[in-house]
Amino acid sequence: FQGVRQAQWLTKTKLVEGLPPSVLGIVNDPAHQLECYEEGAKRAVSHARFWDTTEVAPRREHYCPVLFEDLIHLCRSMAVKYPALTKRMLARNYKIAATWERESTLLQVRGLNGILMNSMAPIPPVASKEEILATEEHVLETFYPISPTIDLQEVNVYRELNNTGFRDGYPYSHPHTLFFLESDNIRTNRFRPEQLRAKMLMFAFGNALAKAKVLYGDDPKVLEQPIVVQSIGTDGQLFQFMVFQLNTTDLVSSDGIKNLVWIDSDQNLYEKAQCVPEIKKRVVVKPAGIYGFQPDTFKKFLALYLHGTV
Amino acid sequence: MAVCRGRRLLWHGRCWYSQTESAVVPPPSPAEPLYPPVVASFTAKSKAAQRRRLEHFKQRVHAAASIEEKLRLYGQLQRPKYTVYPQTFALNADRWYQSFTKTVFVPGLPPRAAPAAAKSPGAVTPEAAKAPESAGPQAAKAAGPGAAPYLDMGQLRSLACDALLQESFYQNKKRPALYRDQEHTPGPFLTQLVSTLAAFLCSRNPLLAASSLDLNPEVNYYWHHGEEVVVHGHRKGRVDPVRFQIDDKPHLQLRVPKQLPEFVPLESNLGDVPVIEHKPSKLPLFKKQYENKVFIGSKTADPCCYGHTQFHLIPDKLKRERFVRANLEDQIEVVYRANGIASLFAWTAAQAMYQG
Repeated sequence: FQGVRQAQWLTKTKLVEGLPPSVLGIVNDPAHQLECYEEGAKRAVSHARFWDTTEVAPRREHYCPVLFEDLIHLCRSMAVKYPALTKRMLARNYKIAATWERESTLLQVRGLNGILMNSMAPIPPVASKEEILATEEHVLETFYPISPTIDLQEVNVYRELNNTGFRDGYPYSHPHTLFFLESDNIRTNRFRPEQLRAKMLMFAFGNALAKAKVLYGDDPKVLEQPIVVQSIGTDGQLFQFMVFQLNTTDLVSSDGIKNLVWIDSDQNLYEKAQCVPEIKKRVVVKPAGIYGFQPDTFKKFLALYLHGTV
Repeated sequence: MAVCRGRRLLWHGRCWYSQTESAVVPPPSPAEPLYPPVVASFTAKSKAAQRRRLEHFKQRVHAAASIEEKLRLYGQLQRPKYTVYPQTFALNADRWYQSFTKTVFVPGLPPRAAPAAAKSPGAVTPEAAKAPESAGPQAAKAAGPGAAPYLDMGQLRSLACDALLQESFYQNKKRPALYRDQEHTPGPFLTQLVSTLAAFLCSRNPLLAASSLDLNPEVNYYWHHGEEVVVHGHRKGRVDPVRFQIDDKPHLQLRVPKQLPEFVPLESNLGDVPVIEHKPSKLPLFKKQYENKVFIGSKTADPCCYGHTQFHLIPDKLKRERFVRANLEDQIEVVYRANGIASLFAWTAAQAMYQG
């Protein structure tokens, strides 16, 4: 249905546009010197879009994961400067399960979602105590007369399962960032940006909730230490950044303290990647290359990666 | 009649034209030869003509404008060729591959190479062309103040253990699908291990910071070696070079922008290349005709055009237990050697071709 608005009601969340100030601080901080990675980011884009295949132009299901791998490789090589970055581990093909009740309907999030990055240390809470208390007055948007559970799949659940996807004693126990790659060749099978943002929100919430239930038990309550999970979604060109903070597991009622989410949507990493030069009437109109590269998007990517250790 | 007359007119016309031309052209200077050089014909069915055609082809390739053009001309002509598979169950495949690729096998690691931790979990073969700069511990102990930071083996060990534990124990996974054991645990473990180690060792080896990691890349190479007579077909009886093609898909590949220094100088004599008198099809090796590709994992425009390390996973079909059960213990080594020789030969030769 309405994407993020419906997801907000389902997860009892308040939306804030733009990235939180702590992440923006990392982006704008000149001490981190995020500029020197611009060259590396351009190389990563060219490698993914042009050079990685024997055909003339690679397909999206080929270049999207390659771009993601290259960007992560670039971020990981920053472990030279920040040794705490080595305490991170990627996990692919992992399954999440989380169940919660929302005004007499039982909802659940399950299954393979994306690529998760775990870290040993949790991300410190992003919003201050005042902001959390201020969410009490915020009223959730309802869609009367449409039921908020419209377009959701109805399933018979025999076990209310809450599982982070990993066993106990896992050293990298805190979910840090979730990556979603929309890499289908056919455009109708891919999620549109609005739906992708909703998917990111639901899965980030699911991860945070599962972790909260593991840490604090199943009783619904307000958390003193809010859990923060980040999420980045892309289709190879457009990036959506999201930071979600779980403040409460008391989700049955619609009032009280809400959770918070900061969304920065539709950031283009580059405008167009021309594989073969465009030729009109035997004259090269547009030579091959990348057009409209925006280093800010990569800086935000890197900032979200570094968030929590810097 | 009309035709004859027409033709005579034409001939006269030509004559007239050539007379005018000779009147215009000045007499050649005495230093220049009067006639063009006398060389063998280009289109005759003779060995001299064949040589001249080969020379012409080589000139065309050398004079081509860009590397892609050269590679395109090199692999333009498609003929049946032997497909060489790096991971093969053929008996004594390593001696055959050595003779195809003119390789000398030297057991043990090359001199001055790093005492790299011999991590070979399961059925993994790290093919190492490791940079001598990672001769870490010796350098750290030998050099004085201002040396490279201490290589924390404990940290490396814990990283490796974490990766292994995550993939095999902590992460909740379904049972592996039929015959997909390699993708289930060893594959992800290898990816995790290599990426975390590369990130960790960036400080010691600046090449790694500028490197490029490929997952499931493709490596292809096409070459000629030796000669044979065409057996049947419309080209029967002619002498042709024997064509080979390797199409390889390593699990992981690290490419760097700078060339790794050579372990042994070019002219050193380390042994002999085994010579096998039989035809390659006795190996068994089969002929197929398809596109002649030369590819290192990315195109020529990529700055990371030199290779660092390749990682292969030996499939279940070629694992130790099967060979032991079939009483072929000595062939276990052969599998690893043949895989290494073929894959790395293809990769390094394709990199060399990318240089021009």
